[in-house]
Amino acid sequence: MGEGPVSLSLRGISKRFGQVKAVDGIDLSVGQDEFLSLLGPSGSGKTTLLRIIAGLELPDRGTVVVGGQDVTRQPPYRRKIGMVFQNFLLFPHKTVAENIIFPLRMQRASREECVERLGWALNLLKLKGLEARYPNQLSGGQQQRVSLARGLISRPTLLLLDEPLANLDRELRAEMEVEIRRYQKELRIPFIYVTHNQEEALTMSDRIAVMRNGVFEQIAPRVEVYQKPATAFVASFVGQSNHLLGKVMQCAAGQLVIDWKGRELTVPCNETLGAGEAVRFMIKHEDVQLRAMGRASRDQAAFNRLKGKLRDIIFKGQTANFILEIDNGCELIASGSLRDTDVRAGDSVLVEWPQTAGVCFRDKP
Amino acid sequence: MTSLEIQAPEAGVPARWKIPPQLLLIGPGIIFIIVTLLLPLLAVVVFSFWKTESYELFMDWNLENYWVLFREPAYRVFLVRSALGALATSFICLVYAWPVAYFIARHGGRYRLLLVLLLAAPFFTGVILRIAALQGILGPGGLINMALGMVGLQPIEALMYTPVAATLGHVYLFMPFMVTAIYLSLVNFDFALLETAKINGAGPLRAFVEVTWPLNWIGTAIGLILVFIPCLASAVTPRFLGGPKSTSFGMSLSQQFGETGTWALGSAMSVVLFVVSCAIVLLMGFTINPRRSGFTGGRR
Amino acid sequence: MTTYGAVSGVEYRKWLMAVALGLLYIFLYAPIAYVIYASFSEDIVWPFPPSLTLQAYANVFNDSLYGDALINSLKIGVGSGVLSTLIATAAVIGLLRYPSRYRTALFIVFLSPLFVAELLIGISSLAFNARILGLSGNIFSAIAANAVEGVAFSFLIILSQLVRYDWQMDDAAMVFGAKPLRCFWEVTLPTIWPSVFGAFLISFILAFNNLEISFYNLGAIPTLPSVAWGSLRFGLGPELFAIAAMTNALVFTIFALMYVLMRTGIVKFGYRGT
Repeated sequence: MGEGPVSLSLRGISKRFGQVKAVDGIDLSVGQDEFLSLLGPSGSGKTTLLRIIAGLELPDRGTVVVGGQDVTRQPPYRRKIGMVFQNFLLFPHKTVAENIIFPLRMQRASREECVERLGWALNLLKLKGLEARYPNQLSGGQQQRVSLARGLISRPTLLLLDEPLANLDRELRAEMEVEIRRYQKELRIPFIYVTHNQEEALTMSDRIAVMRNGVFEQIAPRVEVYQKPATAFVASFVGQSNHLLGKVMQCAAGQLVIDWKGRELTVPCNETLGAGEAVRFMIKHEDVQLRAMGRASRDQAAFNRLKGKLRDIIFKGQTANFILEIDNGCELIASGSLRDTDVRAGDSVLVEWPQTAGVCFRDKP
Repeated sequence: MTSLEIQAPEAGVPARWKIPPQLLLIGPGIIFIIVTLLLPLLAVVVFSFWKTESYELFMDWNLENYWVLFREPAYRVFLVRSALGALATSFICLVYAWPVAYFIARHGGRYRLLLVLLLAAPFFTGVILRIAALQGILGPGGLINMALGMVGLQPIEALMYTPVAATLGHVYLFMPFMVTAIYLSLVNFDFALLETAKINGAGPLRAFVEVTWPLNWIGTAIGLILVFIPCLASAVTPRFLGGPKSTSFGMSLSQQFGETGTWALGSAMSVVLFVVSCAIVLLMGFTINPRRSGFTGGRR
Repeated sequence: MTTYGAVSGVEYRKWLMAVALGLLYIFLYAPIAYVIYASFSEDIVWPFPPSLTLQAYANVFNDSLYGDALINSLKIGVGSGVLSTLIATAAVIGLLRYPSRYRTALFIVFLSPLFVAELLIGISSLAFNARILGLSGNIFSAIAANAVEGVAFSFLIILSQLVRYDWQMDDAAMVFGAKPLRCFWEVTLPTIWPSVFGAFLISFILAFNNLEISFYNLGAIPTLPSVAWGSLRFGLGPELFAIAAMTNALVFTIFALMYVLMRTGIVKFGYRGT
């Protein structure tokens, strides 16, 4: 992050509901043309954080600064923030046009401005011709566009999106993901996007904040979150990984040698661990390569290599998941294109991955 | 990251966060109920331990009024008569109102509101006029008995100045309450649940008993209370339709505040009436299990 | 075409219920029809065989007692209707929007008037006003006492619609710049107005025609029910029947209008189905 002025900054935000710490001391800065995703499982506090930014929830502690102004104690209607909701929340008794210009009317904009901005929004979101319809006469995708138009029409300093695609079907979702990112890049308004769907977060965001139990586990550019997860939780939540539970044999600078059910593996590690400590090694499905027996040709030393049997192939369209039974009795999954491999279920195979791939953390019981 | 100069927070927190808004919304109602219902009822309780002499209440603490109510069998008869009448009326209303409310809620479509309003419309005509009209229809010179007489049949004695006629009058007056209460419950009921019950093998009757009835019991219980309580206190209807053998507790009670002017005794009767009403409400209350009512209690 | 047993069973039950509804309407409206018929009769005690006249209607407009009674009844009806609708709407919103550990207790408080008979409300407010406050009967105490019941009924009616309301709708409006009152006006009210209107209507009718509560709170001030009560001693005057007939004519004109509007689909009165 970093170029340009800061649009939103949160300092030490905390919020409790009874005994539950929904948000626990969050600090965050969002740049002026940044797309940030708050990614986390349900109950991680991401929606509460979004509602605090919007002013719908008052934090117990901390400050919210939007566009250089401390708005912590300001009610939502003074914050000039746009928002898109999960179940759209279009006003059922208002037409599409009335719904979209609602924020402008609240700001007492002139009639001419309303008409002009409405034209702009209808154009941007391809809603021409639907102005006079009522929300219950629209499809899910159209409702979502109207909801977006309403969020964007008054040029907010910030647009908050609360799982806006959760209620759409898969195909439409993929289409909207691309479009939402395009609007953000065109309009240069910071978007804060709450989701529990890692694919959505990875597709759209510049940065991703992974949240769990009210705190950020990691906040980093999307590629970094994917490739260099900071914690075991992030590693397991983002992407699909194999989890290998083992014991430390040797610890050197940035590298561990672990014992995984009788097999020796060399894995990268940033922590200093003592011999005998239990660890969890996670390697993404697509990092695991498989070759037919006898075809290994690379440098032996830089790879972890295991013998096994291909038990099944789960066809997923562009890729396939190969279910592998390693000769120590454990199971691994590798994913790759079917075209590149000519193995069949039942074949004996070699499984390998670079010693620099994957992440390893101390395994907390 | 370039941080901008941060402006000082606005002096003075907006009022929205200061006075809890729910207090502003609920407070007036609570005060209103206290002043217009609770305090007057409390006054009546106090007066029931006082005395009346020549149409004036005197502060002279005693239990004489309650002793009179206990000693004179007439009051007990009035009370039991009123209670039985109210019970009969509630039962008839319950049985008849269910199919009617069900029909409106399920098959009323866009005319639902109109159909319910049609039930309420008779209330635009005063109780006394409607009772008089009922008397005109049921009474000796009324429509039914005259028609019977014209074809040479005996008039139906039961419809003239009997407890049956009084009960019929009560059913007439309070049936709309019952239907409306059940209707309001049913419009919030998800009829798709019945499909689920049927797919799982329940017949129509079984589905009703297992699903519809328990999920709409609160509405039904409210309906029963709305019928029972005014019936128990009813004074006008038995006076005009009930004939000489139908003096009700309510009639006797209103006489204490009217013709005879014995306010203290009337107050004691009011307390008895109130206690019986409360007992009924509590009895109904015990049958309600909020967790099984399907009511989620509003937000989220 | 074959009809399956289950289907015809449903149809059969549906028609049976429709007949029950029809019979109920007949039962409810027979006395109303009688009132209208009798208002045109020369002799209201023995109105058969018919002998029609408009005398009663002429009397209504000539005798100031009926005019006064009608105006007082309207004042009480509108006053108590507005008062109870306002109080109940605010209370329901306050209770549903904001979670409170006293919610159940507060529900009971607002519904408690339903558990107290009108007679008791009338008598207790008479006793309280006369003996504790030293007030003689006046129209304001009559409005207030009538509104006690109105509040409870309005509360119940509005509650039954508002439990289904999605409060996030208000959140949305507020994020887009609407202050709380504006939120209510622009978003909440348009969604729940049928129940608010229904609440007003019910509390208006209850107060307009109430005998017992008004009677004990008004003393000598006439209302339509108290005039009816007073004239019972000498037999009901046909003038009261005439007033009732005119009220009904007005009400049914409004209903017919509603029906036409619904039929043509101009107004849906809150119904959001097909």
